[in-house]
Amino acid sequence: MKLVTITTAFALAGNAAFAAEKTLDIGVSDALTGGAAVYGLPQANAVQMAAEEINAAGGINVGDDSYMLNVIAYDDQANPTEASNAVRKLLDRDGVKFILGFCCSGATGAVASFIEYEDAVMLVGNAAERSITTREIPNLTRTRPPADYTGAAAGTFVAEKGHERVAVLGALDVGFYASYVDAFEKELNAAGGEIISRESFGLTDRDMTPQLTKIREQNPDAILVAGYVEPAAFIYRQAVELGIDVPRYGFTSGSEEQFLRVANSEQMEGVWDLRPTELTLLSASENGIAYHANYSERFGIAPSPSSPYAYDQTYALKDAIEAAGTVEDTEAVAAALRDLPVPDEVVMQYLPVDGKMFDQNGQAYTANGAFQWQDGNWVFVQELPSDAAAYSDFLSTID
Amino acid sequence: MIEILQQIINGMAIGGVYVLIALGLTTVFGILGIAHFAHGSVSMFGGYLTFFLMTSQGLPLAVAIIIALATGFVLGMLIELLAYRPVRGASHINAFIVALGLTMMVEGLNLQFFGHEQVVIPTDFNRVFDIGGVTIPELRLYVILAAALLIAAMTIFVEKTKTGQAIRAVAENRDAAILMGVNVNTIPLVVFAISTMLGVCAGIMVGALFAIAPGIGEGLVIKGFAVLILGGLGSIPGAVIGGLVLGITEALAAGFLSSAYKDVIAFVVMITVLLVRPQGLMGTAR
Repeated sequence: MKLVTITTAFALAGNAAFAAEKTLDIGVSDALTGGAAVYGLPQANAVQMAAEEINAAGGINVGDDSYMLNVIAYDDQANPTEASNAVRKLLDRDGVKFILGFCCSGATGAVASFIEYEDAVMLVGNAAERSITTREIPNLTRTRPPADYTGAAAGTFVAEKGHERVAVLGALDVGFYASYVDAFEKELNAAGGEIISRESFGLTDRDMTPQLTKIREQNPDAILVAGYVEPAAFIYRQAVELGIDVPRYGFTSGSEEQFLRVANSEQMEGVWDLRPTELTLLSASENGIAYHANYSERFGIAPSPSSPYAYDQTYALKDAIEAAGTVEDTEAVAAALRDLPVPDEVVMQYLPVDGKMFDQNGQAYTANGAFQWQDGNWVFVQELPSDAAAYSDFLSTID
Repeated sequence: MIEILQQIINGMAIGGVYVLIALGLTTVFGILGIAHFAHGSVSMFGGYLTFFLMTSQGLPLAVAIIIALATGFVLGMLIELLAYRPVRGASHINAFIVALGLTMMVEGLNLQFFGHEQVVIPTDFNRVFDIGGVTIPELRLYVILAAALLIAAMTIFVEKTKTGQAIRAVAENRDAAILMGVNVNTIPLVVFAISTMLGVCAGIMVGALFAIAPGIGEGLVIKGFAVLILGGLGSIPGAVIGGLVLGITEALAAGFLSSAYKDVIAFVVMITVLLVRPQGLMGTAR
């Protein structure tokens, strides 16, 4: 017993003597509880997993130093006030300079409004409200494309399917869902179709039968559902219960597991999800398959499709710090992010603009895709129109 | 016409849940004068427990419900015995504070034991019945029938059994009930046990129809009190009518006006009724 203790002590002392690593704290502000945790918690997990992988591979190399990442995560509950408090705590108390996560637009917008004046870099994940990257905030980047970039592609797709009278049921009080529907409607109208009704629901609502009953009476050709996974799953289930048998399209980015908590596979059969080509196991890249396996093993649950936005942020940050050669000069790191090619380790399949992962607005783009629920899985069916360069130019024209 | 009928059916299911919550609240309030705010959290506990028994222990739905109801029966008695009985003779504010504290405690325990995730109680009731264009999902039909059955059972229990008569006697005149030989220490225990069982039933219904999550119990108890006021404090028929009126009004408001204002419209209806009948729909003027 004594020998073991002495040997362990020598081993520890040996490690300490040769270890030249330093620790770099990175922050996460995300919805770890509440309704938006379906997006926020997987993002926080993804950052943690990426940090562990980076540490295992030797950390972030800056000159002669290597930095091991330490993740400090706070729950912002997707609430603007909580997010502002969480980020202030990270900046002022924990001394963090790099903040990741940010699944939801309201909370992200609140932090984006002051981050420009801070000695920090903000990396936004799943939050899809367009205005987050229209102000060209130099120390902010976002991995997920804006909602209207995808909404326009969805409108074209639904029109090409021959649907002319589409009923919308969405969380239309939330800016990015409304902007998705607006862009959808523009393309649908251009193709001769129309939105015949816009019904809304609150993010905590679970009984949407009144709105669906109203929609049923209007005999639409198709339904478009735009909202968080859980209410959307209830809508799909309740639509079947009300005997509505028109095609159901959605913008939700939920995993199979998340939907199956509410609806069964039969009720979900045939539903479309028109969204960025996020992680779906059946269409994932090699990185995506590895990510899915590692995440599932690490956390005992499959990752949500949008969670790699946060995983990819972490690798983008690593590459940017190494390119800038500093962990102190946040301006240099922010500039390096804008110049960054797409890192090899990322899971999402980005469309670089001028060879770079982020455009001049700090915005990254993936292709848009049409996924359909078939026999218990989201199956990638086809790519949707995704002109990243044209959208990037358009984004630059918006104040 | 079909749309209106469909909306009424939609509203009856959630109305049935409101009725069960309000029945539990009204019996406690009518007999003991306690605004039992923890009732919503306790009903969520019942829903969580059923989910846990089914998913973690692999029990069938019926067995899980029976265990949850039995647990609710015991829990109700414990709540009366440990939380409310010590302040029975004290000022009303004491019971009020105990009720608030108990709410926080039960919510905290739910979070501790069952986590913060939303859960949906799985059922196999997926059939849909179509009657002349009005569709009735199997699960909603069972919820409506179960609520009706429980209301009938509760009415028979209160009206026809000796214990029920004793409960009514205590509610009407506690001192006279003591003189007539009613054990006024046992009655509150029975009342809380039954009230909690009804709450557990409501929690299970919410969990199967929609979902259980932290915070939902608070919303439910607010609706329960609204029903109580609408129907008339302490009135069982009032709770039944009030719950159905509230549920159907919400469905009609969401369907024909806007879902954003369904709660507002439901409460406007409640206030309007109270302006005309301050004692509530079935309450007695004092």
